[in-house]
Amino acid sequence: MILLLAFLLAGIGTYLIRLSGIMLLGGERELPEAVTKTLRLIAPAALAAIIANSLLLDGGQWREFGAWQIAALVAVGVALWKRSMGWTLVAGAGAFAVLILVGL
Amino acid sequence: MHNTPGRRYLRTAWQTDAVNTPSPRDSPRGSSSRLGIGKTQWSDFTAGARAIAPLDPGSFVFGLAFGALVQVSGFNSWVGMSGSFLVMAGASQIAIVEGLRIGAPLVVVVLTALVLNSRLALYSAAVAPAYSGFPRRWKLGLAYLMTDQAAAVTLQYQDRYPDPARRRWFVLGASLTFTLAWYLGTVAGVVLGPVIPEAWQIGFIVPLMFVALMVPALRHRAEVVAAVTAIVVAVAFKDLPLGLNVIAAALAGIGVGRLIK
Repeated sequence: MILLLAFLLAGIGTYLIRLSGIMLLGGERELPEAVTKTLRLIAPAALAAIIANSLLLDGGQWREFGAWQIAALVAVGVALWKRSMGWTLVAGAGAFAVLILVGL
Repeated sequence: MHNTPGRRYLRTAWQTDAVNTPSPRDSPRGSSSRLGIGKTQWSDFTAGARAIAPLDPGSFVFGLAFGALVQVSGFNSWVGMSGSFLVMAGASQIAIVEGLRIGAPLVVVVLTALVLNSRLALYSAAVAPAYSGFPRRWKLGLAYLMTDQAAAVTLQYQDRYPDPARRRWFVLGASLTFTLAWYLGTVAGVVLGPVIPEAWQIGFIVPLMFVALMVPALRHRAEVVAAVTAIVVAVAFKDLPLGLNVIAAALAGIGVGRLIK
């Protein structure tokens, strides 16, 4: 079963990827400040990269401007205003549903 | 901030022991425990579950979409479902199923999945300081449960749990419940098939979840610069194969962000 084999190999590799930083940098010694400063930028950079890839692109091509980007702008606005993950999701999903319903 | 006195929970001698050896008070059993888990641990676990709860529907729906893809692809349902347990990373699972369906070689399909998941090495490094006080078996277990979402929530809350013996329960609550939603969604998708109409474009939950994770947590100028740089690089290098533009964008964002004071 080739699918099972693919999942197994990808699963083992992905687990080792998930473990890598925790094991290499997770010792008891204090990390130098330069390292911790770098680590703090990982989340915003990686999350933003995925946002751009899924919102502005679609399988490597430009995504046509419409409901996706408008609803995302609403979500960003609410996120900056409320500073809340829950409100951001509700506002973004609500805006997207309305935009789809009106046919954008 | 994470060394301010007064926000110490249960700061006792065993806290430092917890670094390498499991604490004897790990899971006190007694009348105040549930499932053999102490009251404090349970409340930290549920706090983690609550923190990630707004994202659980997204996890479930994305799992549902993956399950439905397995069903329409004609692969064995059980094998398809096993992807969510073995790999546990949505985009790469979809890439594997789609790749094999169109007859791509196994090596190419697995490598594509690993490149897509290489960003998890970045999160793994990012959470390393938060995990450093955890016993080894916790690290091994929590690593399996680490997703973009669980890592981001862990980073946002780590300072509120300065004691690693309590933080690990928070991380477990967030990671495990989010993953359970993914499993349940997958099973439902395999059973039900494509119940969500194409017109709903549920793919939008991907950028939406990541906006909800990133934007409310943006505080410092360097973080904003890192995010904006990543966005620019991701689209500028859109023609790179295998989703490598995402990795390039993340690395560029980190690098440029570091130049900011």
